[in-house]
Amino acid sequence: MDGETALDALARSGFPRVVRSLRYHRLRGPFCGTGDCTGCLVRVNGRPNVRACRHPVEEGDRIDAGNGWPSARYDLLGTFDLAFPRGVDLLHGFRRPWWAVPWYHRVIRALAGYSAAPDPAAAAALVAPPLTYEAEVTVVGAGPAGTAAAARLVAQGRRVVVMDRQREPTAIPGAEVIGGTNISFLPPPDPTAPRPFLLLGFREPGQGISIQSRSVIVATGAYDAPLLFGGNDRPGIVAAELALRWAARGRSPALGRAVIVGGGARADAVLERLGASVRAVVSLADIAPSVAARASDLGIPLYPRSLVLEARGGRRVRSLKLRTRGGGPHFSIRCDSVILAHAAVPNVQLFFQSGAAMGWRPDPGAYFPRTGPDGSTTVPGLFAAGAAAGLGRGEAVASGARVAESIAAGAPPANAVAETGSREPGPLEGYYRELLHEPRRGKWFACTCEDVLLEDVEAAHERGYRGIEVIKRYTNVGTGTCQGRYCLPSALLVLSLLEERPPSEVGYITQRPPVVPTPLAALAGLRSVVPEERT
Amino acid sequence: MRLARDAYRAVIIGGGVIGLHTAYHLARAGAGPILVLERGFLSSGSSGRNGGGVRQQWETRSTIRLARESVAAYRSFGREFGYNIWFRQGGYLFLASTRAELAQLRIVHELVSSEGLASRMVGPDDVGRWIDGIAPGATVGGSYLATDGTLYPFPVLWSLYEAGRSLGVEVALGTEALGTVVRDGKVAGLSTSAGPVATPCVVNAAGGWSAEVSRRAGLAMPNVASRHEILATEPMKRFLDPMVVRVRDGLYFSQSMRGELIGGIAVPHAPGTSRGVPSSPQFLTRMAGALVDLVPRLGALGVLRAWSGYYDDTPDGLPVIGEDPRLPGFVQANGFGGHGFMLAPAASRRVAAAVLGEPVDLPPEEFAPARFLARGRAGPVEGLQLG
Repeated sequence: MDGETALDALARSGFPRVVRSLRYHRLRGPFCGTGDCTGCLVRVNGRPNVRACRHPVEEGDRIDAGNGWPSARYDLLGTFDLAFPRGVDLLHGFRRPWWAVPWYHRVIRALAGYSAAPDPAAAAALVAPPLTYEAEVTVVGAGPAGTAAAARLVAQGRRVVVMDRQREPTAIPGAEVIGGTNISFLPPPDPTAPRPFLLLGFREPGQGISIQSRSVIVATGAYDAPLLFGGNDRPGIVAAELALRWAARGRSPALGRAVIVGGGARADAVLERLGASVRAVVSLADIAPSVAARASDLGIPLYPRSLVLEARGGRRVRSLKLRTRGGGPHFSIRCDSVILAHAAVPNVQLFFQSGAAMGWRPDPGAYFPRTGPDGSTTVPGLFAAGAAAGLGRGEAVASGARVAESIAAGAPPANAVAETGSREPGPLEGYYRELLHEPRRGKWFACTCEDVLLEDVEAAHERGYRGIEVIKRYTNVGTGTCQGRYCLPSALLVLSLLEERPPSEVGYITQRPPVVPTPLAALAGLRSVVPEERT
Repeated sequence: MRLARDAYRAVIIGGGVIGLHTAYHLARAGAGPILVLERGFLSSGSSGRNGGGVRQQWETRSTIRLARESVAAYRSFGREFGYNIWFRQGGYLFLASTRAELAQLRIVHELVSSEGLASRMVGPDDVGRWIDGIAPGATVGGSYLATDGTLYPFPVLWSLYEAGRSLGVEVALGTEALGTVVRDGKVAGLSTSAGPVATPCVVNAAGGWSAEVSRRAGLAMPNVASRHEILATEPMKRFLDPMVVRVRDGLYFSQSMRGELIGGIAVPHAPGTSRGVPSSPQFLTRMAGALVDLVPRLGALGVLRAWSGYYDDTPDGLPVIGEDPRLPGFVQANGFGGHGFMLAPAASRRVAAAVLGEPVDLPPEEFAPARFLARGRAGPVEGLQLG
C-alpha cells in the first residue's frame, strides 16, 4: 500500500474540490482514482498540473489550486458557465466587433490552462540522471497478469524488468520491479536490433526511463468507462476505482450516500466495500443475481434497466435523475456521490503506438489487440496479458502464465492471430440509442478535460464532418490531459449512432505519445541514451 | 465514394489549405465545376499537422510580399468565412546564438523593413522580457516583427471546405488520384480511385506527395518529402506572446490560445513518405532537451502529445506555382517546404490565376516550374527555412 497522497490529505475534510475546468470554470472533483483525469490537478511547490492523487505529501509542501480567481473554491470566472448555459462556440464566436478581438484573446488566454508556468525551482528539483535498463522481457503493469508472467519468466531464468504505476508495487523475487513509473512511449520495434523494443517513460515525479528489451508484455489492465448524462462532471461523480481505493484507506465517508451505477462484478465489489452507505444500485442493463442478493441483504433498493439522465446539485451531486428504460416516469434519488461501475475498458494505448493490429469488441465497446491463444500480437515480440487483452479477472493469472510460457519456449512468429473485430452492436450502443432521444437538461460533457459538450460533437456532425479523426480536430474531443481515456469510449458510440455505421468504421484516433503527460525534464534527460535513428 | 459528374473544369489533387483555397478562388471566379480530391480525411495531411505560425520575415522579396498579403487575408478571414481562426499577432522572434547568425538576421531585417514592415533588431535584454526564464547567455539577440503571429489551423480548413462546397465545389474525401490522362500533349482527364473524369486542368496541390503525383503524370520534379515532428505541452496560463525560432538548430515554439506550448526541431529522418506519420524517440528527447536548455523552468511542464507531418521541400526553398511547360493543363501548386499554411491565401490566388490562364504576377525564376528544367542556372534561393 502506497503512503498518503495529497488527495488523501484533501479528502480528510470531505470531498475534495480543487479544480476549475478550462472553458467554463466549473468546479470539479477527483474522478478516476488512477491518475489520468483532470479532477485533482494542483500546483505543488511551483510545479503545475500535478495530480494530487499521485503526489506523496511531505512536510512543508505548498499545494495550490491553480485555476480560478480569486480561488478555485470561489471563482468569479465561474460566471462564464452560467452566462453560457448551452455552451460557448469558440469556433465561430468572438470575432465581432473587430476592435474587440485583442481583448477576446486576452480573456480566452486567461481562461485557458490550469496554472501558471512552472517556477524555476520546481524544474530544478526534477533534474535527475535517467534510469536505463536492458532486459530480455519487459512487463508493463504489475497487476495479477503481469506479476504471474514475470514470476514464471524469472523461474525460467530470464532477465525481467517490471514497470508499474503504483509507487510501492509488490515485489517479485528475481525480477526488477520499478514502482512509480509510467511507460509513455512504445514505438514500433526495430527488428534488426538485438533488443528490438525501446520503451520510454518516467519515474515520478520526473526521472526519465528508457528500456531496451527483446520482448514486451503489456499488462496495463482496464479502467472504469465514462458515461454521458447531464452534469456528468459534477464533483461527487467518481469511477469505481476511486471508490474502492478510498474505501481501502478509510476515506469512503467523503463519498457520503452513494449511488452505484452498474449491475455486474465491478458493482458488486464496490457494494461489498461500501456496504450500507450505498443508497441505491442503478444498472443500465440487468442486475446480476449476486449483486441483487448482496443489496437485498443490506436493504438497498435496485433500479435495473435505467437511463441515467442528470446529476443535479450545486457544488456537488445532490441527486440523480433516472427513468426506466423503455418508457416510464422520471424519478430522482438523493445522494452525495455517483459511482460508475457499469463497464471497464482496456488501457491499449501502447498496442496502438507499437503498430499492433486492433479489433473492436462491442462488449464492452472498446478496441483490443488482436491476439493469438498465447497472447501474441501482430507485432513479433509484443504480447498482451490480462484485462488489457480483454480477459476477465479470473483469467488474468493464467493469461500471464501462458504468455510467459510462450516467450520461454521461443515464441513462434505471430501468425495465428484471432479475429476480435465485430460489427454487432454492443450493450452500451443500445443504451445510448435510447438515451439520446431524451430531452436534455444541464451540460452533457463529452470531454471534461477540454470542456467539450455532447452538443459540440452533434454540431460537428450536422455540419457534415464524419469519423472520429475529424471530429477530434473539430471539437477537441480526445486532445486533453487524460489522453482521450474518458471521452473516446462514449464519443465513438455516439458517433456510431449519428453516422449510422459501426464504431469500428467511425475509426480511432492515432494514439500519440506520450500515454501519460511526461515532464520535459524526464525526456530531456533521455537525450543521450536514445540511440540514433537509422535512416 | 461516387463522383457527382464525369467532367470538371479543373481537378485539384490535395484537400489541404492550398487545394481548398484554390478551389474557393476558382468557384468565386465562376470557373465552372471544380473537384478536389483528398486521399485521406479532411486535415489528415500537413495542413492539419502544422504549428500555425504565420510570418513575413524572409530572405526573398517576393516571398515577403506573398506573406504580407496572406497576413492581411488572415486578419479578415474570420469576417469573410464565419469561423474564428484565432489569428493572434504576437510577433515572430528569431534568436541568434552567434554574431554571425545575428548578422544574417540583420540582412533579413533590412530587406523586410525595406518592404515597409516594422521589423527590428533586439538585444538579449529584450528577449529576456519576452521569454521569462531564458537561460543566461543563451542568445546574443535577434530580429522581431510584431505583426507576425500564430493561428489555429483547423478552422481555416473547415472554412474553406464549407465555403467551397456552398459555392458548388465538390470535395471527394478518401479518394486518390491515380494518373493523368494526356491527349494531344495536353491534360485531358484523370483516373481516380472513384473512376475516370474528364478535365482540361489538373492542379497538383498534394504537399508531401506532390513529387509522386507529378511522376504519375510523367513529370519529374525535384521536390522531396521530409518528415518533421511537433509536440504540445500541457496547457498553462499566458506565458509567451511571440513565436520563437532559433536560427542555430531550427528550434521553434509558441503558445497556443489553449495555453499549450507547441513547437518542434529538425531531426534527420529518411526522405519520402513511406513511413507514415509516426513520432520518434529521437525527436521527443531532442526537442525536450533543446527547450529545457533554453528555458530551464519548462522542465517541470508535461508533454501532452506529439505528431508528425511532411514538408514538401524544393532545392531552392521556394514553392512551385504555375503551369508545367512540359504538360499544358498541369498546374503545379506545391513545394511550400512547411510554409504552405502561412502563404496559402496569397499563393492560392496565383494558382487559381494559372488555372484560368490569367497572368501570374510572380517572378518566374523564383516560382515557375520551368526553373528546374534549365540546368546549371542558379536562381534566387530562400534560405530562411526555419519555423
